[in-house]
Amino acid sequence: MKRRDSIKTILLSAIGTSITLESCITPEGENIANKVWEYQYGRTAYEKSRDEKFLNSVFFNDNELSTIERIANIIVPPNEFGDIKDAGVVEMIEFIAKDWSTPAHNNYGENVLRKGLTVLDELFQKEFGKTILECSEDEIKTVFDKISYQDNISDELSEAASFFATYRYFVVTGWFTSEVGMKDLGYKGNIPNVWDGVPDEVLKKHSVSYDDEWISKCVDQSKRNETAKWDEDGNLLT
Amino acid sequence: MEILNTKKKYDAIIVGSGAAGGMATKILSDAGLNIALIEAGPYFDPADPKQQTQLKWTWESPRRGSSVTRRFGDFHMSYGDWKVDGEPYSSKEDTNFMWWRSRMLGGRTNHWGRIASRLGPKDFKCKDSYGIDQNWPISYEDIKPYYDKLDRLIGVFGTKENLPNDPDGFFLPPPKPRLHELYYIKGAKKAGINVIPSRLSVLTKRINNERGLCFYCGQCERSCSVYGDFSASSCYVIPSLKGGFVDLYTDSMVREITTDKNGRATGISYINKKNGKEYKLESKLVILGASSCSSARILLNSKSSAHPNGLGNSSGLIGKYLQDTVGTSKQIFIPELMNRETYNEDGVGGAHVYTPWWLHDKKLDFPLGYHIETSYRNLGMPQFGVGGYIPNDFNKFFGLRVGGYGDQIRKDVKKYWGSTISLETRGGALPNVNNYCEIDNDKKDKFGIPVLKFKYNWSDSELKQAKHAQDTYEELAYNMDGIILGDKPGKDQNYGISTPGSIIHEVGTTRMGDNPNTSVVDKYERLHDVDNVYVVDAGPFVFKGDKNPTWTIMALAWRTSEHIISELKKQNI
Repeated sequence: MKRRDSIKTILLSAIGTSITLESCITPEGENIANKVWEYQYGRTAYEKSRDEKFLNSVFFNDNELSTIERIANIIVPPNEFGDIKDAGVVEMIEFIAKDWSTPAHNNYGENVLRKGLTVLDELFQKEFGKTILECSEDEIKTVFDKISYQDNISDELSEAASFFATYRYFVVTGWFTSEVGMKDLGYKGNIPNVWDGVPDEVLKKHSVSYDDEWISKCVDQSKRNETAKWDEDGNLLT
Repeated sequence: MEILNTKKKYDAIIVGSGAAGGMATKILSDAGLNIALIEAGPYFDPADPKQQTQLKWTWESPRRGSSVTRRFGDFHMSYGDWKVDGEPYSSKEDTNFMWWRSRMLGGRTNHWGRIASRLGPKDFKCKDSYGIDQNWPISYEDIKPYYDKLDRLIGVFGTKENLPNDPDGFFLPPPKPRLHELYYIKGAKKAGINVIPSRLSVLTKRINNERGLCFYCGQCERSCSVYGDFSASSCYVIPSLKGGFVDLYTDSMVREITTDKNGRATGISYINKKNGKEYKLESKLVILGASSCSSARILLNSKSSAHPNGLGNSSGLIGKYLQDTVGTSKQIFIPELMNRETYNEDGVGGAHVYTPWWLHDKKLDFPLGYHIETSYRNLGMPQFGVGGYIPNDFNKFFGLRVGGYGDQIRKDVKKYWGSTISLETRGGALPNVNNYCEIDNDKKDKFGIPVLKFKYNWSDSELKQAKHAQDTYEELAYNMDGIILGDKPGKDQNYGISTPGSIIHEVGTTRMGDNPNTSVVDKYERLHDVDNVYVVDAGPFVFKGDKNPTWTIMALAWRTSEHIISELKKQNI
């Protein structure tokens, strides 16, 4: 595999993993980011340098990253499409912690994401005398059952509940914006195609139909490549 | 391509490369004029893989597309938004105007919704129709040939409808409606509200061999790499550069128009953003297409003994009559759209259907109507925030528990995905001399150029229009068997009316008219005060009704360009 392709493979499997990237492809230790970013998403020079800075710096320590991964796997458990690791959820949260650490974001990484972990860990300490990482899945669920529903949150748990909701938001977002998560959701687009209306079976199921007069004005996709010509009143002739 | 300095004297300097400047560049360079085209941002070509965001997957961004460096997310194709680093502006007396700037070749046409509406006959006769202080000095018939030419040159899909104030054109055939759009059509019909196919500048059919056809990715706001939608960069400027008559100056920020002792324009001075140095260029005429407020700013900053209040400002009206479209929005949850089968419904990068203003004949307590746009990404690619902060909040409508985690929350996201329709109204604003931008004498941008200060208030008329829109949403929701989300904004919330500037339709500021005391430019967009300066962006708009301005900007700029060619031939300039 060409170096370029191997970087691409790594990137596609785990976006933005500064640590993974460093350990996998730094024999020469040179300008990895520059090469990596050849594959990216149309950044300006400023945006690129900003991304590179964050991809090459560390926000959470190993313990925090493991805690996020543990929580994430319970919020969105693995299924036939993949798991939290496949979805790059932890890497996304690590990146956003730095990306939103500006005065405009009120230092979100520190004040919300890191503090959230601390508050949740304290709750588990209080409940079980140990950290989230040391708890069993059942123990974690006992606590999540108390803080994850809107209807029965006690005042003393409201802060933890709000941080839980924040992490749930990031984990759900991270899952469904990933390649595996989009498959799970069933998203079928983002590829060149020729739209020719809602499938018949879907129309039937929803008891809606296309109006004949309306449809008669719509594009005949078999003629889309014929160059448009009009008469002088603007009636399309082709 | 980039020229730092030149002794060359141009026929015309065109400031701004968007809808207006791009159009003028095409027509004037096709006629063989030597053009200097000045753009404040960098070169941009939607076909350049290094700049392209079209067809990128959300996960290709480490922040999953969230809006940190770009206001509408990582994949949105605008360099610059309501904030541009080092180029501040402010608003006066507790008012707030949001000023969008896209600093790039092609400007805002790279990200716009491609809604290509024409102003109608009533909009040009706005005094007679709506009681506004002035009509346009031109009529729909004056501009119709240019709309027609535009349709054929650039392409717009739509249908002939024979509506009183939404004129038909030379349309390409529209795409079929999406599923939620069929729900909208059904509900609107029940409510007695008209719905027709949208009118968007997207190629559903071939118009020439230079541009590709729409391949239905639904991402026009990312700017199309095969030029299947209209951008001034892809359709005007980039082809014009090949003709050899255009020198493009990118990253060049115009400070002022320079004048001779008689007050005629001699060219411009600009700052090269890459080295910070200032340069001068000379030309026979100067054409401003920098956007309504940017062009007003350049004119107001161009002071001289002949023009002490700014170039062309003897009326004192430059900057005045600033208008943005009136906007409101509402989300409606449609339970029948739960648990959707998924299929590729990306479609074009905009709604396939819309409601033009339908109450022309009804007596209402406000003068200006609105059209209704619907959402289009109901089954679109998931972006940051997919599912919302509480993914199963709609459970509350069914007496189910809200919140939780695990497989259940994942199922709930899928259950509700695509079940919400967003509706937006877009309505006319009254031209008002008290809504304006002016030079802020206390502040300069990072290039040392004095910046703008805005003042903008909605009047009772616009608030009543917004109130009417909120009632319409209720009627539509009821007839779609939907549930309106959020509270109905009342008087205390100004009926949910948009912040001025937030709809990104700034028009006005260099008003067109026959009388030099009550307008800034004449009916060919030439300054009354100076015979070799034109303004071809939306500044000359007297009024725009509920229409999206781009098509009219270009039709006017085309008409003005032809006028310029004829004046040059007659040696009148």
